[in-house]
Amino acid sequence: MSELFSRLGALADTLAATPILAIGLTLGAFFAGNWLFTRIGRPLWLPPVLLSACLLSGVIAVLALDYQAYQQGARWLTVLLGPATVALGIPLYQQMHHIRAMWRPIVVTLPIAATLAAVYALVIAWALGATPEVLASLAPKSVTAPIAIGITEQLGGSVPLMMGGLLITGVVATLFVDLLARLVPVKDERILGFALGLNGHAIGTARAFEISHTAGAFASLGMGLTGVFTAMILPLVFHL
Amino acid sequence: MTMLRGFLVLVLFFILGESLRVLLALPVSGGVLGMVVITFTLMVRGSVSDDLASASQGLISVLVLLIMPGVVGVFFTADQFSGQWLAVAAALLVGTFLSVLTTLVLMKLVTVRGEQHRE
Repeated sequence: MSELFSRLGALADTLAATPILAIGLTLGAFFAGNWLFTRIGRPLWLPPVLLSACLLSGVIAVLALDYQAYQQGARWLTVLLGPATVALGIPLYQQMHHIRAMWRPIVVTLPIAATLAAVYALVIAWALGATPEVLASLAPKSVTAPIAIGITEQLGGSVPLMMGGLLITGVVATLFVDLLARLVPVKDERILGFALGLNGHAIGTARAFEISHTAGAFASLGMGLTGVFTAMILPLVFHL
Repeated sequence: MTMLRGFLVLVLFFILGESLRVLLALPVSGGVLGMVVITFTLMVRGSVSDDLASASQGLISVLVLLIMPGVVGVFFTADQFSGQWLAVAAALLVGTFLSVLTTLVLMKLVTVRGEQHRE
C-alpha cells in the first residue's frame, strides 16, 4: 500500500516536471469555464475568462502545485501571445473601410482617453496615499501586457503588481463597457470595440470578438494605438 | 497544413517586429510592431490569403486561453497589494469606470457631430 503511495508521489513529480500538465490544466479549465458560462446563462458580470481562471486557480491550489512551475509550463501557451497579437492585424486590414470612415473620432478620442486612463488611476491612488512604486505599477494598467512590462520597468514599478492591476483592469473594463453601453447609451459596435481595446487591452479585445468581427477589429486598433501612445507619453507625464 | 502555413507567416512577422524593437530600441512590443507591419503589408498587397486568414482566426478565437495563465497570477500575487489594497482597488475600479465612461461619451459625441456635419 505504502509502495503505491510512493509511486503516486513519483507520478506527480514526473507530470509536474513537464509542461504537459500545465497545458492540460489550462485547456481543461478553458473548456470547463466556457461550458459553465453557457450553463449559467451567459451572465455579463462573470466573463468566461474569469470563470476559467477561478477554476484553474482552484485546481492549482487544491493540487498544491507550485505556481512558478505552472507558469513555466504554461509558457508553451503564453508564447503564442506574440503571433496572436500579430494576427490582430488581419481583421484590422479586413475592416479598414470601417476604420477609414471613423478616423476623426479615433484621432480625437485616443490621446485624451488613453492619457486619462492612466491619470484617473494615478490621481486616485496618489490621493489615497499609494507609494511611488505602486503608482509606477498602476500607470500602464490599460496597456497590453508586453508593452506594459517595458513601461513599468522604465518607471521603476513592480512587474507582478502591474500584471495584477492589468488583469483586474481588463476584466472590470469589460464589465463597465457592457454596463455603460446601456446607460449612456451606445449601440455602435465600432465605439464599443474601440472602448474595449483602449481600456481593457487583450481581455477587452477577446470580449469584443465575441460581439462581432467589426467590434474586434476596432478593439485591436484601440489596443494597439493605446499601447504605442502610452509607451511614448507616460514616461514624460510621470516625471512631472 | 494551410493553417500552419498561415501560422508561419504570423511567426515571421512577430520575429520581424521583435527585430525592429531590439534594433531600433523602440519602447513598443514586438507583437504590436508585427501587427502594424502586417497591416500595412496587406494594405499594399490589397488582399489576404486564405491560409493567413484561417490561421489568424484560429489564434484570435483562443486569445482567452492564451491570457488565462496570466489572469491566474492575480490570485497568487494578490498578497503584494496588501497594505495599499484600498488605494489599488479604488484606482483600478473607479479609474477604469471613469476612463470607460470618458471613452464612450467622447467617441459618441465626436461620431454624432461628424455625421451631422456631413448631412
